[in-house]
Amino acid sequence: MLELKNLSRHFGGVKAVDQLELTVRKGEILGLIGPNGSGKSTTVNLITGVYQPSAGSVQFKGQDISALPPHRRTELGLARTFQNIRLFGQLTVWQNLWAARVVREAGWAGFRERWLSGAKAAREQAEELLVFGDLAHKRDMLAANLAFGEQRRLELIRAAASGAELLLLDEPAAGMNAEEIQDLDSRIRRLRDQGRTILLIEHHMELVMEVCDRVAVLNFGRKIAEGTPAEVQQDAQVRAAYLGTDEPATA
Amino acid sequence: MDFYLGLAQVIGIHTLLGLSAWCVLHTGQVSLAQGGFFAIGAYAAGMLTSMWGWPLAAALATGALMAAAVAVAVGFPALRVKGLMLVVATTAFAEIVRLFFFNLQWRVQTPAGPVGPDGSLGFGGIRYFPSNGWTTLQVCILIWVLVAAVMFMLWWLDRSRVGTVWRAVGEDELAAQSAGINLTAAKVSAFGIGGGIAGLAGGVFAHYATHIEHSNFSILLATFAIAYPIIGGLSSLAGTLLAVIFIQGFLTEGLRFIGDWRSLLFGVLIVVVMLVRPSGFLNRSLGRSLGLGRATATPQTGDATRGASTHA
Amino acid sequence: MDLLNLIDLAQSLIDGVLFGTTYSLIGIGFTLIFGVMHKINMSYAAASIGAAYLSLMLVSLVPAPVVYAGAALIGGVLGWLIYLICFRFLPINNPLATLMSTVGMLLAIEELISHLTLGMPQNYPALFSSTNIEIGQFFLRGDLIFVFMLGCVAMVALTLLLKRTRLGLATRAVAQQPVAAQLCGMDVNATNAGTFVIAGLMGGTAGAMAGAAIGVLSPLMTLPLTVKGLVVTVIGGLGSIPGAIVAGLIVGGAENLFQFMRGVSERDIYVMLMLFAFLVLRPGGLFAAPGGRD
Repeated sequence: MLELKNLSRHFGGVKAVDQLELTVRKGEILGLIGPNGSGKSTTVNLITGVYQPSAGSVQFKGQDISALPPHRRTELGLARTFQNIRLFGQLTVWQNLWAARVVREAGWAGFRERWLSGAKAAREQAEELLVFGDLAHKRDMLAANLAFGEQRRLELIRAAASGAELLLLDEPAAGMNAEEIQDLDSRIRRLRDQGRTILLIEHHMELVMEVCDRVAVLNFGRKIAEGTPAEVQQDAQVRAAYLGTDEPATA
Repeated sequence: MDFYLGLAQVIGIHTLLGLSAWCVLHTGQVSLAQGGFFAIGAYAAGMLTSMWGWPLAAALATGALMAAAVAVAVGFPALRVKGLMLVVATTAFAEIVRLFFFNLQWRVQTPAGPVGPDGSLGFGGIRYFPSNGWTTLQVCILIWVLVAAVMFMLWWLDRSRVGTVWRAVGEDELAAQSAGINLTAAKVSAFGIGGGIAGLAGGVFAHYATHIEHSNFSILLATFAIAYPIIGGLSSLAGTLLAVIFIQGFLTEGLRFIGDWRSLLFGVLIVVVMLVRPSGFLNRSLGRSLGLGRATATPQTGDATRGASTHA
Repeated sequence: MDLLNLIDLAQSLIDGVLFGTTYSLIGIGFTLIFGVMHKINMSYAAASIGAAYLSLMLVSLVPAPVVYAGAALIGGVLGWLIYLICFRFLPINNPLATLMSTVGMLLAIEELISHLTLGMPQNYPALFSSTNIEIGQFFLRGDLIFVFMLGCVAMVALTLLLKRTRLGLATRAVAQQPVAAQLCGMDVNATNAGTFVIAGLMGGTAGAMAGAAIGVLSPLMTLPLTVKGLVVTVIGGLGSIPGAIVAGLIVGGAENLFQFMRGVSERDIYVMLMLFAFLVLRPGGLFAAPGGRD
């Protein structure tokens, strides 16, 4: 579904992402891990269009989207959550969902759906998502006033609200306790079972190993390992990068 | 009685101006261009009725549409920048418009003599109201009907998804983009609608004043335009109206007591209000408790260059 | 264009560039404040002219150079006052409030000047106004050269201040990471106040220079100076001091060029169009601050 081909991004002399080749298959949950500074966030920004690649391309559903602006990519079915929550704080929970591009059709069909039938189908879908996120009872509360866990859930369902087929989750477990992570685990699975594909960027090893079908590991902007969670855990390079060896660190 | 009607007319026109700025401020853009659109509407509508005898409604509508069209055209390049740069860009645009009209000379012969904009001498003879026997009261009613119509339209837009999208863009552009919102479309639409409203206000102003000139459309006017929604509180449309009443009432009544010093006191007044109540009269909490307001965004003027720092 | 016209054109350009240092200083002031606080101080140019006005009080007492120094110092004090009134106590994340507040200040200062001087332009002491240096066919006006030199001195002084003193270091630190700066023991409020004072010194100098170059001070100067200063800041790149310097010279030169070609009343239209061209082609400005990693 998503293919990164020879993707690179340089900032001056720094190679944040270096010749990355990655494929996300339809319907899978792929984990992307790596030490801090390994280029995970940059990769997400490249996929969503916040950054343009210095080299290489991003292909989505067979189409080269490297030059498309972010909102167009969302229209095509790509959505993301943010590491540091970026909700529309002064809008209510419902409005946060509603602001996302809920009406999928463009052109005349879109016009008809949006203005003439009151976007009924979209409303129903948004309502379902509210229930999915256990936020139906807080629909009129300002997003800024939600508890942290609730905000994370809202981030999640807002990304789903745009009708995305591929969800990029950028460290959704950050700051969560064990119970919340369990909850997140089950939600991610349910989102996938509802027909979506998930790319999960995370630091919480337990969550990654539990929920992901496959895992890719980045270090210094390059992919150093890829495979099932078990395979990756055994990989020597990964252990050196993450767990450290007995020798002094080589930066 | 006529004095109060005159005051009511001024308040009405300025409310329209304030509403046009409210629109644009909602998407987080600070625009000092409303004076320019006001001018376009004023000259266009004035010229149509006095030089070519158009009926008032058509002239006002055309003036508003022209202003809106220019707003959209200017919006596309201008709205690519944010924050301070947008302030400067819109200021520059407003100055271009003002200087354009300062240099514009176009007169036609009418039975009443030559009529039309005459460069630095301004544009006089916009005599539609007197020629057609409008009383002050009728003009006043016209203005307020327009105000009510515009307020209703904006209220309706705000409640619809358009308003939600505008405010989402004003809150957090990055998140809005990622949620699939087309930023340019949202910002340009708000800019265009704001421009149209300002153009409408300008058209009415031209007929009310019967003589307009470039100095009517200075940056000071644009400042007033954004002062109203900011001082009134961006949460609610009513706040803008209150701010206009407060400020214009102050200035006009002030004329009686403190004469020439009233502009100075106006400046001081703004400073004091910002110190005491930075988010405006009817800010979010007060507005909600009065049942008038809705949640709103705090525009991010400095957001564009968060990464920029002073370096020598 | 025949040779005579070409020479006149070049002369205009030279005069404009020399005067452009005034715009550079105003641009630096705007950019300095914006770079540190991410907010605009719309009253900056007005305060600069105000400082020049106040320095008029010294005119009969001291020679001209001291008057200029006086304007600079008064500018510093005004800068501190504006910081106190319009920035210190306003919420940090509400840039609109400070925008409006400084606009109010701009209005107040302009009106105050108008009233106190009854709207009459005041003569401002110029130095070397009767001296002219001839280079071939060109006259370099003495007073403009002096203004230019003064501008250069001010810019050098600023650079030294920013690079060599603790205050300068603190200013740059606070600009980049206000929270971390606090955690390192820097008093953010004092530093910001310091930045405003520095900007004010620049501004007062610029006000004096404008008065010296034109020969008179008038409240009508505040608005155009504000607009031109903002244009310079944007063309130069927000937060970039070298950018403001270069842009100021460009705007000064271009302004005179346009005036020579199309006359005074159309001049500003072209200056604004030039700004638009920059915004479309190079929105970051000449010396855009480098975009960092997110």
